[in-house]
Amino acid sequence: MPWLEFGNGRKIEVDEDGFIKDPKAWDEELAVALAKIEGVDQMTEDHWKVAKYLRDYYLEFGTAPVIRKLCKETGFSLKQIYELYPSGPAKGGCKVGGLPKPTGCV
Amino acid sequence: MSDSPARSQKAQKVLERFAKKLNRQMVGSLLACVHCGMCTDACHYVLANPGDPTFAPAYKADQVRRIFKRHFDWTGRVFPWWVKAKSVYSDDDLEQLKDIIFGKCTNCRRCSINCPMGVDFATFNRMARGLLVSVGVMPEGVAVASKDQWELGNQMGVLREDYLETLDWVSEELRQELGDPNAGIPIDVMNCDVVYAINPREIKYDPRTIADAAKIFHLAGENWTMPSEGWDMTNFGLFSGDDDLGGAVARRLYDKVEELRGKKLVISECGHGYRSTRCEGQNWGGVDVDFEMESSVITMLRYIKEGRIRIDPFKNNKSYTYHDSCNNARSCGLFEEPRELLQIVCNDFREMYPNRAENYCCTGGGGAMSMSEYSAQRLKSAKIKADQLKATGAKVVVTSCHNCVDGLTDLIRYYKLGMEVMQLVNLVANAAIVKEKVTAALP
Repeated sequence: MPWLEFGNGRKIEVDEDGFIKDPKAWDEELAVALAKIEGVDQMTEDHWKVAKYLRDYYLEFGTAPVIRKLCKETGFSLKQIYELYPSGPAKGGCKVGGLPKPTGCV
Repeated sequence: MSDSPARSQKAQKVLERFAKKLNRQMVGSLLACVHCGMCTDACHYVLANPGDPTFAPAYKADQVRRIFKRHFDWTGRVFPWWVKAKSVYSDDDLEQLKDIIFGKCTNCRRCSINCPMGVDFATFNRMARGLLVSVGVMPEGVAVASKDQWELGNQMGVLREDYLETLDWVSEELRQELGDPNAGIPIDVMNCDVVYAINPREIKYDPRTIADAAKIFHLAGENWTMPSEGWDMTNFGLFSGDDDLGGAVARRLYDKVEELRGKKLVISECGHGYRSTRCEGQNWGGVDVDFEMESSVITMLRYIKEGRIRIDPFKNNKSYTYHDSCNNARSCGLFEEPRELLQIVCNDFREMYPNRAENYCCTGGGGAMSMSEYSAQRLKSAKIKADQLKATGAKVVVTSCHNCVDGLTDLIRYYKLGMEVMQLVNLVANAAIVKEKVTAALP
């Protein structure tokens, strides 16, 4: 299993697609590192809002929300979500929020 | 050389079930290989990993074939050492087989159509996947998606209320965009000419394709509906080799169309969904259906030809190439219509080589996108696809498959190609001319 190195020599286990293996190991420093991989150089307040909503939803329900819920609860349009996370909510948003890789053919 | 070692229960079950899968098509493919090597050059795994013979289709096929020879073919029973017959004994043997049949093949069938002996490796590779799945040996992602499809009726575990709320949201946005209170998505309307079924990915992560399709149906004045249940036209049974799942999923869809007395089932742009629903589902489910089924690609092309929607190709002003989905092109023969459509909706279409039935897999087919454990190998093997895309010089690669969208997006990022991936529905909706409402006052 590969490892992601970030911050001051911290290391964390990720799957082959770069999603973290242990959702509990997530923190903001890690999120910033994951965001860089997904093409987000600067985590703005808006980025955090999306990532944290995805994360909270996952911790409560054990799955990622449908994009409708994400848009409704964060107030962003679909277009804005894709602007914030160019690789999309499934790959980008979920990865930065510390969720495991979404299931199914995505 | 005897089968003396004890056999695990799982291995025993695999052998018992193997016997039941042997129809003429399977046996023909298992027997006919002459190891000529024509398939070697056909496989993107081999082309991207030339130094590794374990990627060769004939080698991969032999890992299944040797079991067949050991137990079902007389040559292997009499001289197993001569024909390289070998059984499976342990759970470890099954795990090793799993890494080959799930991890080193996307069931794209490019080797099948290039085999002079007519060996359809992908077909018995799928059969072998089914044998392993029947004893619980499969990549975790396949297990999760299959479970969701059995239990919740769609492969991404989307709940009914989330599905309906998403459609409602899309409808509302469409009404605003078109300024037409009659636009939107009709749900469960009886006796429609078109029942439209989609991929759960469209609900869960990217409903823009639903919005685009709804816009096209509306502009064409179609009498259409989307079902509240049985709306998932994807089918993990195709990937996992589980015919029971394949049949159950397909029947859910067919039953709903029949219940709504729909005249035609239109399947959104998804290669494996199209193949499963239109070509395979009736066999898996043991049913005949009375209604027509068609890909939305053909529907959109028909609307344009019938003058039901008008197109301004200058709205799509980039350079486009077309990637044929394996399931659409190689397995279902859908390759001229998308090109015809693409040439209508844009001005700069550039062919990809090889193309049509000879195109290379997006490298994420056969459920590979759900198998993270093989992602590194998948992306490394995508080199041949990356080179093929790059050679077109196009800015946008268009495809008619959700799985290809994700497979291509992944490799485009990995190889830093900087290309955009779109589906035909996006281009058609973008180029469709929305008539201005005539509001001139009467004299």
